[in-house]
Amino acid sequence: MSTTPLTREQLAELEKRPKSKLQQKLDYCISGAPIAFATLLLLNYHYLPNYKFNTTTAVYPLFVGIFLLHFIGWFLAGLFSKKLREKLREKAPFYSAVFLFLLFYDYLTLKTGKLPLPYFPWPDKILNAMIDDRLLLLDCIKNSLILLFTGYFFGAAIGLITGLAAGWSKQVHYWVMPIIRILGPIPSTTWLPIVLILASSLFKGSVFLIALGVWYPVTITTLTGVVNIRKSYFEVAKTLGAGEKRLIFKVALPAAMPNIFQGLTQGMSVACTTLMVAEMMGVESGLGWYITWQRGWAEFAKMYAAVIVICLTFTLVNFILTQVKKRVLRWQEGTIK
Amino acid sequence: MRGNKGHIEIKNVTKIFSRNDQATTMTALSDINIDIQPGEFVSFVGASGCGKSTLLRIIAGLETPTQGEAYCDGEKIVEPSAKRGLVFQDPTLFPWLTVWDNVAFGLKATGRYKDSKEKIAELLKLIGLEEFHNSYPHQLSGGMSQRVSLVRALANEPDVLLLDEPLGALDAFTRMNIQDELIKLWQERGTTMVLITHDVDEAIYLSNRIIVMSPRPGRIIKEIKLNMYHPRNRGSTEFVDYRTQILKLLHFAKEEVAEYYL
Repeated sequence: MSTTPLTREQLAELEKRPKSKLQQKLDYCISGAPIAFATLLLLNYHYLPNYKFNTTTAVYPLFVGIFLLHFIGWFLAGLFSKKLREKLREKAPFYSAVFLFLLFYDYLTLKTGKLPLPYFPWPDKILNAMIDDRLLLLDCIKNSLILLFTGYFFGAAIGLITGLAAGWSKQVHYWVMPIIRILGPIPSTTWLPIVLILASSLFKGSVFLIALGVWYPVTITTLTGVVNIRKSYFEVAKTLGAGEKRLIFKVALPAAMPNIFQGLTQGMSVACTTLMVAEMMGVESGLGWYITWQRGWAEFAKMYAAVIVICLTFTLVNFILTQVKKRVLRWQEGTIK
Repeated sequence: MRGNKGHIEIKNVTKIFSRNDQATTMTALSDINIDIQPGEFVSFVGASGCGKSTLLRIIAGLETPTQGEAYCDGEKIVEPSAKRGLVFQDPTLFPWLTVWDNVAFGLKATGRYKDSKEKIAELLKLIGLEEFHNSYPHQLSGGMSQRVSLVRALANEPDVLLLDEPLGALDAFTRMNIQDELIKLWQERGTTMVLITHDVDEAIYLSNRIIVMSPRPGRIIKEIKLNMYHPRNRGSTEFVDYRTQILKLLHFAKEEVAEYYL
């Protein structure tokens, strides 16, 4: 045996049972499946006659085509790189299912009309709606994000302060706990009708609501985190000469960070919900408003387009949060999976 | 050597704990009097429950005695201080800080970090962990963690180093290595060392003076001065004699407890 250290992958490779010929062939078939289904999707779209007066554009096949090329490239690269091949084998079933779903959806809407317009626009229509309305949509994304992050920032900051203070001081705990117990179980959207009347501006009112929704989980998790810190960390810190300020910010805060991030994640999902409700009920901008507005015009394609944009936006927001969490909690790596 | 700093006096200290489950109390320490000279290496040995850890925590300032007082360099001990460093059996490294930042914690807390970067590097080199300065505690082994914990306490240059069974959880070889490192550090710096242990050999190997305690209530039954030079030979007749003497005392203590309950 060589003395150079092996990577985890190499070790797994050495200890793995060899694959049979049949299994290998099956793997190739599965890896090629997305290509087959995407091609089928394009053929169906292009050659099968449309139902009645349904019209199509070149946007959707172009869009699918990009993905098709991507998968062809991946498959070819996989012939040479084992890593890429295995990754493709892992992802292929899912993407095959996606293309298959789109194929059936196209068939049921565009080609046969079994799912009727205007309620069920086909993907090409939705894509075109998105492209046509891109400027307004971008503006809505911008407004939604500004509102979301303003509220989230205030809620998280105040929650962090409340949780830390209540976890640290018995007196603060005494006064804060009843408030948390009473306000906590009320979904922040409950306050919407009241806040919309009382707030001097809809924006401020919505910021308040989102902040309230974020405040609760962040406070609770911070408090739990601080209360459950091992006493010996504080004792060691004290014998090293740490004063109270250092104990709070250099011991309690970082030690509670894993809990705090649970609260921040929960808070983000509450914030997104509150944002959508607030925009649908009152605020006159943003993605939630866009959906209700398009409903007024019975523009279903645009509504679906907005749903997709919302999905992408919130996925991105949560991705950013996860990255921040990974960065801040990198000291935990390997200890907790 | 650091002259006259690190003088510990324990005067008539009694510590009584209330039990959580019932309204009774338990006397952990009963009328303890000790004088630990600057630069001395004193070990406390005794069966578990003899209050030796409580005594150490009182010296550290983490517990308040029910009666009596503890003094450090003439000042009454009322709260923890950077002058009295503490090392637990569990390394208790801050898991969110790298090895370097763990060692730097005390220096930052006492506002001396800027001028002490070289010292940290030196300390890490001393324990052979200079390459690990950027590692997080979960990446270290038990022995490595305990070494870091030790230099973290030392970085502050305390007058007194309190060691609460710091090697108790380590394997025999690591333990012997760190014992030698402790001797070296003590000889170089002249810090007053107070060690709690139930390993009699460890106490004999390291200390100037061994204080033998008996449990329930915790009190001192014997003080033994050791007149041996370092490095000590674990197999020498002197060493073995001390061991026999202390083990006898501990055994005696046990018998007395049995009688007490009968």
